[in-house]
Amino acid sequence: MEREEFVLVRDTVRSLAPRYGVTSPDEVKPATRAAAQQALDDMGLRDLRRSSPPAATAQECALLAEEHGRHPLTTSLLGTVLLAPELLRLLGDDTSRGTPTVALTRELRFPGPESADLAAWDCEGADSALCVTTDGTVTRVELGPAAPSTDLVRSVRAVSPGAPVETVGRLTAPDQLRWQAYALVVVTAELVGAAGSFVEQAVEYARVRRQYGQAIGSFQAVQHLLADATVLVEAGTSVTRCAAWCLDNEPPERALTAARVAKAEVNSSALEAVYAGMQVFGGIAQTWEHIAHLYLRKVRLGATLLATTDELLPALAAPEVTR
Amino acid sequence: MTDTPLDFGDPADLDRLRHEFRAWLDRHPLPERESGEPVPVFLHRWHRLLHSGGWVGLDVPERYGGRGLTALHQVAISDELGACRAPGVPRIGYLAHALLEFGSEEQRLRFLPRMLAGDEVWCQGFSEPGAGSDLAGMTTFAERHDGHYTVRGQKLWTSYAQYSGLCLLLARTDRSAPAHKSISAFVLPLDRPGVTVRPLRAANGDDEFCELFLDDVRVEESERVGAEGVGWALAMTTVSYERNALDTGHISKYGLLVERLRRHASEHEGTLPDGLLSRIGRCVVDYEVLVAHARRRTAERLAGQVAGPESSVDKLLMTRTEQRLYDTALEVFPAELAQDGGELFGDYLYSRAASVYGGTSQIQRNIIAKRILHLPSNG
Repeated sequence: MEREEFVLVRDTVRSLAPRYGVTSPDEVKPATRAAAQQALDDMGLRDLRRSSPPAATAQECALLAEEHGRHPLTTSLLGTVLLAPELLRLLGDDTSRGTPTVALTRELRFPGPESADLAAWDCEGADSALCVTTDGTVTRVELGPAAPSTDLVRSVRAVSPGAPVETVGRLTAPDQLRWQAYALVVVTAELVGAAGSFVEQAVEYARVRRQYGQAIGSFQAVQHLLADATVLVEAGTSVTRCAAWCLDNEPPERALTAARVAKAEVNSSALEAVYAGMQVFGGIAQTWEHIAHLYLRKVRLGATLLATTDELLPALAAPEVTR
Repeated sequence: MTDTPLDFGDPADLDRLRHEFRAWLDRHPLPERESGEPVPVFLHRWHRLLHSGGWVGLDVPERYGGRGLTALHQVAISDELGACRAPGVPRIGYLAHALLEFGSEEQRLRFLPRMLAGDEVWCQGFSEPGAGSDLAGMTTFAERHDGHYTVRGQKLWTSYAQYSGLCLLLARTDRSAPAHKSISAFVLPLDRPGVTVRPLRAANGDDEFCELFLDDVRVEESERVGAEGVGWALAMTTVSYERNALDTGHISKYGLLVERLRRHASEHEGTLPDGLLSRIGRCVVDYEVLVAHARRRTAERLAGQVAGPESSVDKLLMTRTEQRLYDTALEVFPAELAQDGGELFGDYLYSRAASVYGGTSQIQRNIIAKRILHLPSNG
């Protein structure tokens, strides 16, 4: 996209927040969910990664995911707009209809060699889910009932083990790597957006909240906490955007390594940054009504989404074969 | 900060420069350090060789002996040198920038070409025993007379002063005005009467750092850099260059050690404790994050952003990477702990200084809080 065009698309996504961003879990109701998803659907973004070559680069998609992560939104930008269409694009499938999202294991990881129970992730507005098995086969599965999740904002649904499965196609080996790298980057970018936005909110709060007769942001202990959180957010931003760029410009093996590095970094750094922000908010952030736990839930669950740091670090310790 | 797409790749002309440099390196093998040759003497030979090929001061205008390119070109050369395990480019970039920005045309013409060529070796006289992070606490004083000054005071952490001919010196020229108005900069020849250089032994055994005693040293007015009182601004500019991992060529050095750890991990597959494997993985992540961050800064500079207080973010990130890396390396190679004087242990000791030199980590956090986050001041 041209820069101006991208800014336009990003601002469209940004415009969801003031209208549909939730500030308390009590606002998450079926009707408000449906209205928000309708607003997203009306933006017509599902074609961004649907055609080959795609209209949006991976970096642009990552920036949109980052933007989406900045506010608690119930909309399925990641599942139905950025992720599932990419799978169909990689398969060269121009005929599939409907609005699929993606299916993961119940633990929200990439499905492994053993057939595990599946869950459809980020299901708002979706009518099916696409599952990539380890040999690259992509199947379409039906959505079951709502599944419980600690992320109160994002919709997850069960996939019934006995339900019919339709094979959609099979990814080539390099495309499997591309798919994993892309999914990791998009998911990581959303976490970076969430952590960055929450730290900004904490900084704003530190400027106005007064104790001992002065703004708490004037205390060095608070300043250093927020400075460290800022470094974490900046580093996460750099590594995620760079990984997205790699996907657009480098061989898939290299892009997957970069994406794994980004996920490993942000799993812990987004969480740590949100912890710092919550500490600055103090008692108010421990209440049900405050927005803090919506961010915490997102980044805490996000740290296990697709790949955990404990899984990634030993793998990244191996020498890179492509160098 | 940019929230639109950036190009993380090298621009085409950088790629050309890298190829040109690799070709030059093929024809000019690295010099060997002779036995007993002090490190700075060896590095000085290397400096001259690099300069003979035109690889020093790439970002300095041609009329001052440079090549009129950008900082990114110089960074690419540092990167190439690191990748082939060669010593880095001479650390004079920040001094050159101080003269470029604050020196008179006459001073630039007089000093820069010789600095770049290595004909004159420079050191930096900023810190003092009572003024480390808090440069405003500086007490070295330059008393003004008719056409000259007499300087009295003491400097500390003056790297390799014993091998240097010239010192970029900061001293107060006004006892009453606040620091940011009362500090001036001078070019001080170290062979002047009244100058005593005393090397200081660092924790790793090196004598890189020196003390500099100045007992009524005469400095001419023509040796002052810029107007009286610009010393503070000059120091801030210099330090932000010094702080930037991008500009100091540390990254490729970390990269080599990270690769060494990875090789060790694969050679000892299955016998390495799980925790240690994860720590190596963590070092890989830290390193790749730093590389990505440096590439983002490069991309932002190319997109027209000027360097500012974000260099404090870069410095903290660099410190995290370096300190965790060397700490892990000692866990991976425990034999390095069995005897003193080894290179890795020396580098480990040096890594502990990363959170102190160029402004402590606490100072960097203060800068981020005040100048990036705009948090209120006390009171």
